[in-house]
Amino acid sequence: MQEYWEVRSKKLLIITLAAAVLGGVLTIYYFYNPAGNSLFLPCPFRYTTGYNCPGCGSQRAMHQLLHGNLPLAFSLNPLLIVSLPLIIYGIGIKVYNYIYDSAQRVKLFYSKTFIYGYFAIALLYWLVRNLSFYPFD
Amino acid sequence: METSNMPAGSPPDNNLVWAIITTVICCLPLGIVAIIKSTKVKELWMSGDQAGAQKAADDAKKYAIWGMVIGGVFWILYIILMVAGVLGSAF
Repeated sequence: MQEYWEVRSKKLLIITLAAAVLGGVLTIYYFYNPAGNSLFLPCPFRYTTGYNCPGCGSQRAMHQLLHGNLPLAFSLNPLLIVSLPLIIYGIGIKVYNYIYDSAQRVKLFYSKTFIYGYFAIALLYWLVRNLSFYPFD
Repeated sequence: METSNMPAGSPPDNNLVWAIITTVICCLPLGIVAIIKSTKVKELWMSGDQAGAQKAADDAKKYAIWGMVIGGVFWILYIILMVAGVLGSAF
């Protein structure tokens, strides 16, 4: 019984720390706009090649999203905005499994069609967003 | 899909969330490797290779986390160079 509570409180501590770190990061993204602020890391790919990668614009999009500006966030990185519910859901399940020692699985994540489809979209988006004509520019 | 040698219970967590995060946010090739490992988890599990499935799941996690670590290292290097640049130009 003693051991049970030790495990419990250790898990609680780790989750609290993780939540604090996440909260801190989100606070930074709320108060500082990565567009025109050198505090933020530019994407190494974009920095060296001048082309956008599938993740470029994620930081600026986070800033806009935290300010409730969904359309602008979407225009900065639609892939991130579309992926965000999946990411939140996936991590939610992971946290749940961690707390309750359960083995819940996200069915979608085991579908080959989904996995290859998602990454085909990511690769296609990588190509298409670097085209220099409307609406991709 | 039900096969006789399929083990009972849930397959190991294939850690696809980390792979997605690494690919979308850090845009590193390691994310892609993690995805390929993730897809192998269910395949191996279905064929009855529990140890192999667990290993693929662990590998997926490992590659995704390494992708994030490399991203983090870039960030730290960038901040060091930036601070050094600011200090350098001050004199």
